[in-house]
Amino acid sequence: MDNVNAGDDHHNLENDKDQENCDDNPLPDQGEEESDSSEDEVAPRNTVGDVPLEWYRDEKHIGYDISGKKILKKEREDRLQSFLASADDSKSWRKVYDEYNDEIIELSKEEVRQLRRLLKGKAPHADFDPHAPYVDWFKWDDAKHPLSNAPEPKRRFIRSKWEAKKVVRLVRAIRNGHIKFDKPKEEQQFHDLWGDDSSTTEKTSHLSYIPAPKPKLPGHDESYNPSLEYIPTQEEINSYQLMYEEDRPKFIPRRFTSMRSVPAYDNALKDAFERCLDLYLCPRVRKKRINIDPESLKPKLPNRKDLRPYPTTCYLEYRGHKDAVMSISTEANGQWIASGSLDGTVRIWEVETGRCLKVLELGEPVKYVAWNPRPDLPILAAAAGADVLLLNTGLGDGEVQAKIKEVLHVDKLPVTENSDKTPAATWLQDDKTGGIRLRHFKSVSAVEWHRKGDYLSTLSKKLTQKIPFKLHGLPVSSVFHPTQSILFVSTKKEVRVYNLLKQKLLKKLKTGLREVSSIAVHPAGDNVIVGSREGKLCWFDMDLSSEPYKILRCHPKDITNVAFHRSRPLFASCSDDGTAYVFHGMVYSDLTQNPLITPLEILRGHKTVNGRGVMDCKFHPMQPWLFTAGADSVIKLYCH
Amino acid sequence: MVNKVTRKKHYRPPGQKKEGNAARYVTRSQAVKQLQIGLPLFRKLCIYKGVFPREPKKKVKGNHHTYYHLKDISFLHHEPLLEKCREIRAYEKKIKKADAKKNKERANFLIERRPTYLSGLLRIIKERYPKFIDALRDLDDCLSLVHLFAALPAQERLKVEAKRIHECRRLSHEWQAFISRTHKLRKVFISVKGIYYQAEVEGQKITWLAPHALHQILTDDVDLTVILNFMDFYEKLLAHVNKHLFNSINLEYPPILDPRLEALAADFYALLRFFDANTRTSLLNPQTSSSSQFGQVDAEDSELRLAQLQHQLPLNEPTALMHLVEDASGMDEDEDEDTRECKKLFKNMKFFLSREVHRESLLFIIPAFGGMVSWEGDGAPFKESEKTITHQIVDRSTQTHKFLSRDYVQPQWVFDCVNNRIILPTEDYLVGRDPPPHLSPFVDNDAEGYVPDYAVTLNKLKADAKNEILPLPGVGKEDLDDPQKLLDAGVIDRAKAIEAAEMKQKMMALEKEYHDELKLELQGGKYSSAISNVDKQLPDQEKEGGEDTNLPDYQQMAEDTDKLSKVMMSRKKKSLYEAMQIGKRTKKGKIDLLHERKKKHKESHKSQ
Repeated sequence: MDNVNAGDDHHNLENDKDQENCDDNPLPDQGEEESDSSEDEVAPRNTVGDVPLEWYRDEKHIGYDISGKKILKKEREDRLQSFLASADDSKSWRKVYDEYNDEIIELSKEEVRQLRRLLKGKAPHADFDPHAPYVDWFKWDDAKHPLSNAPEPKRRFIRSKWEAKKVVRLVRAIRNGHIKFDKPKEEQQFHDLWGDDSSTTEKTSHLSYIPAPKPKLPGHDESYNPSLEYIPTQEEINSYQLMYEEDRPKFIPRRFTSMRSVPAYDNALKDAFERCLDLYLCPRVRKKRINIDPESLKPKLPNRKDLRPYPTTCYLEYRGHKDAVMSISTEANGQWIASGSLDGTVRIWEVETGRCLKVLELGEPVKYVAWNPRPDLPILAAAAGADVLLLNTGLGDGEVQAKIKEVLHVDKLPVTENSDKTPAATWLQDDKTGGIRLRHFKSVSAVEWHRKGDYLSTLSKKLTQKIPFKLHGLPVSSVFHPTQSILFVSTKKEVRVYNLLKQKLLKKLKTGLREVSSIAVHPAGDNVIVGSREGKLCWFDMDLSSEPYKILRCHPKDITNVAFHRSRPLFASCSDDGTAYVFHGMVYSDLTQNPLITPLEILRGHKTVNGRGVMDCKFHPMQPWLFTAGADSVIKLYCH
Repeated sequence: MVNKVTRKKHYRPPGQKKEGNAARYVTRSQAVKQLQIGLPLFRKLCIYKGVFPREPKKKVKGNHHTYYHLKDISFLHHEPLLEKCREIRAYEKKIKKADAKKNKERANFLIERRPTYLSGLLRIIKERYPKFIDALRDLDDCLSLVHLFAALPAQERLKVEAKRIHECRRLSHEWQAFISRTHKLRKVFISVKGIYYQAEVEGQKITWLAPHALHQILTDDVDLTVILNFMDFYEKLLAHVNKHLFNSINLEYPPILDPRLEALAADFYALLRFFDANTRTSLLNPQTSSSSQFGQVDAEDSELRLAQLQHQLPLNEPTALMHLVEDASGMDEDEDEDTRECKKLFKNMKFFLSREVHRESLLFIIPAFGGMVSWEGDGAPFKESEKTITHQIVDRSTQTHKFLSRDYVQPQWVFDCVNNRIILPTEDYLVGRDPPPHLSPFVDNDAEGYVPDYAVTLNKLKADAKNEILPLPGVGKEDLDDPQKLLDAGVIDRAKAIEAAEMKQKMMALEKEYHDELKLELQGGKYSSAISNVDKQLPDQEKEGGEDTNLPDYQQMAEDTDKLSKVMMSRKKKSLYEAMQIGKRTKKGKIDLLHERKKKHKESHKSQ
């Protein structure tokens, strides 16, 4: 029987008690103190010796006797039996197993009492009095001499100074009210803080107080019993797990059919805490909440009805080219258009019927075509490969033809009225078509006529026409001023304006674009539009500044070309996204008034081929019609 | 070549003063250093004083700092509370020292006389809210937190003292009693988080959340010191707001409650009784002084005596109480229409709450709307067997014993009635049925773009109820249809009649517009929704174009016009516009989701 309470010390003690009990002396003498010596007196009955018992824990014997024989352990009862026995035995609680002697000891009542007293920290015997009156062993009465001969000190007869000081201090503290004997009142006083509101009218000089925004009011979904459509399905709830932490809805609506089934809200304290944090940790700024109709953000544009006519619908299609039409050009009278295509042909069409008048095979992909702006000299310039061909189109009566033939005749020595002296280009007579072939070193990308048709500017990858100016970067596009002898040349980043008479740089227009693709000049000559490869269209007012007056982000893709109408306030841009925009661009003669720009129409119809959409757009010289050439080898005419 | 010596970006010669944001804003650590206090004390002061970080236009020290305005910090610097806090800290050291020296007597002596900064807080309240209305404006958070604390378990280990919890309970009850007594409650909403109440006091809408009366858990992830600092302030604030409100209706503060009712934990009811008793005395006092010359003195006196003896009245004496309530209701003249409407909602109705019903909220709400209420338990004003009870509120699945004279409804009925300001039919809310969905009164359904089905039926019911009431005279609503008749009857003067006529015209115009729009919509079919008003400018032309190509692609045209107008927008406006469109789209997405779910539910319902 293992008794947990009994430790090793107690064992020894109990052993002693046992011994004493055997002597039938339950009340030990008070004088005979239970000294440690008593332990030594009693001989230990086992002969194991002073050996830790755990050495033999797993053995069958407990030690050896004096003759060296094993002392065997007693057979232990199994647990069930011992339990049953203990249950039957009413005295089992006072039985203790003595491991050392390997026997069970039953404690007597007195011993239990003693144990209890010991546990409480008292003397083991009940009748031991720890506070017994002191019996002085020294007899004072008949002593002749005192123990000390010193005279009685003075301080035995006077008051203590320090005590007096302490008393004085306390008295003073009481008198001055530092020490109060009644406890301070618990009750708090309530004042009506806002008793008279009138007195608090003066303004505080503090900063403006920004009140914290109020917490959001609950919606239908926070109800304990929301309508069914507010409750997400299980799949939706699962899909929340895939969301980012901050996107995930914090609150998932649930439905309870009765109020008693609503459980306590787990995050009540947390929500309150977060609100508290917001109140004192969040920076506050006054922000104007914009509560406007988004439609009101759109600028007030003049009514498009008033700006008519402008091209709106596709009226005619000119089909015949086998490949993308790169360029078109209208004749000065507006009767013919010429188109150059990558299939190496130049075609001339009658505008009103769509009949193809002539097909000129050039052999090389035609990049650019341009009519001579003079109505009496219908010469067509076409850029194909590294050549520029001045072609006789065969239009007009005999007189005109004779004149053309005269113009297109090249002497052996290439000194003609055409262009400046260009050692970069050689003038040759082209026998096949009866025109002039200007041979350049590199492929030519654009050709532009001067207003009188006397001069021609060509652009190739290498600068060919001899302009006595330095260009920073490759030229992209060039255009002549409609009335003065001024040339606009655009590089990728900027547009340079040169005076050809004085041969000097007049102006640089900073576009701020990534890559300029095309340029066009207003017939009055003061306004320039520039199209870029990022789809932006810049309107420059040259009198205003060298920076764009307006940037229109209209196309999502590259702008391929821009064009002004010669007489009407219209301009257009075409882009690789297959659309062309028509704008109204009114320039006033009054210098104080800014030009009015209004987008009018988006013209669709061209298909995108190999990522290229509309390649070129040109206005009819008289009518408000627009020609567009597409990469889908179709030319379209849009009429009002 | 030019700038070989690298200079600091914002170089300022030594000795020159800072300017701009650098001079106006300091970071938090700078502020703490400047004030020479620790961070916890700084936080505490910020909470008490209501000092918050601000967002400077240019953050001089970098993005990851909190910036305080220098004025705010100097405002804290001159705060007497700062000095007081230092004093308290020194005092705490004294106690500690006495403890360490085993001078128990002195330690006790010191502990008893600990200084508090109560008076400092009062001054701060007055400083932060110079006018009462300012205090009301900021009361939302205060009320929510006090109501939450009233439901928390006291835990000394976490410094949530039982005393504070009791104080919060008391304060919340006082506030509710005032709101209920003056009929200022406007909206209530049972949510999963608790019950939202909205009251209107002095024109201010005050919304607060009271958690469900269930055991709340104190979690570890919350820093209670912050909340307790807020509580220190809020307790004082609410106590003084209550004081002001009580005084405004001639009541003493703090109220003296019936100890018997208090012991029964019916302190809210005790408060209401206190209200009734005292308003009567205050109401009668001036009368007695004025009419004392006349012979009615005796009768008046006896009545007054009766009221004063209210505390000693036997608890269950419904007749006396009813008498008092009725009398008290007749006294306030300066009420707005809303209050009058609220007061009348449950008039002449008697409610009885069953044992399982959440008592506190209903005890608050029903009297706020003019009803009378009792509950099962000690101290209740009337018993379940009372014959005049009209509604019994039950929150269980079945009710075995039923009186035929009363309706057995679920608690949601009361809430829905209150939110719609009509007495709803009780059929849907009877015991054992699943009640109809409980809708939030804080949502503007039309602005949200989605109207739940039950909101439609509620609106119909409301309209029906109004039609019944409108013809009744003296309701206070102008009869728009016939101002001339009213003029004839001399009910309203000429100006009012003109006003009414104008209003009618306006209404007619609006109606006509609406009808026109409807017609247009019908004609336009699918495209009208997509086409914006810009498009209306050139419908003829576009239609012609459409006929030419035989493909009237209206969608494309709408897109085109949209694009064209976008081309001319400035970048700023365009981004704003696009952001708005995104917002619209997300909102629409949410609504679509709701519609879709609804459709699914309907289908599943049908298939079953």
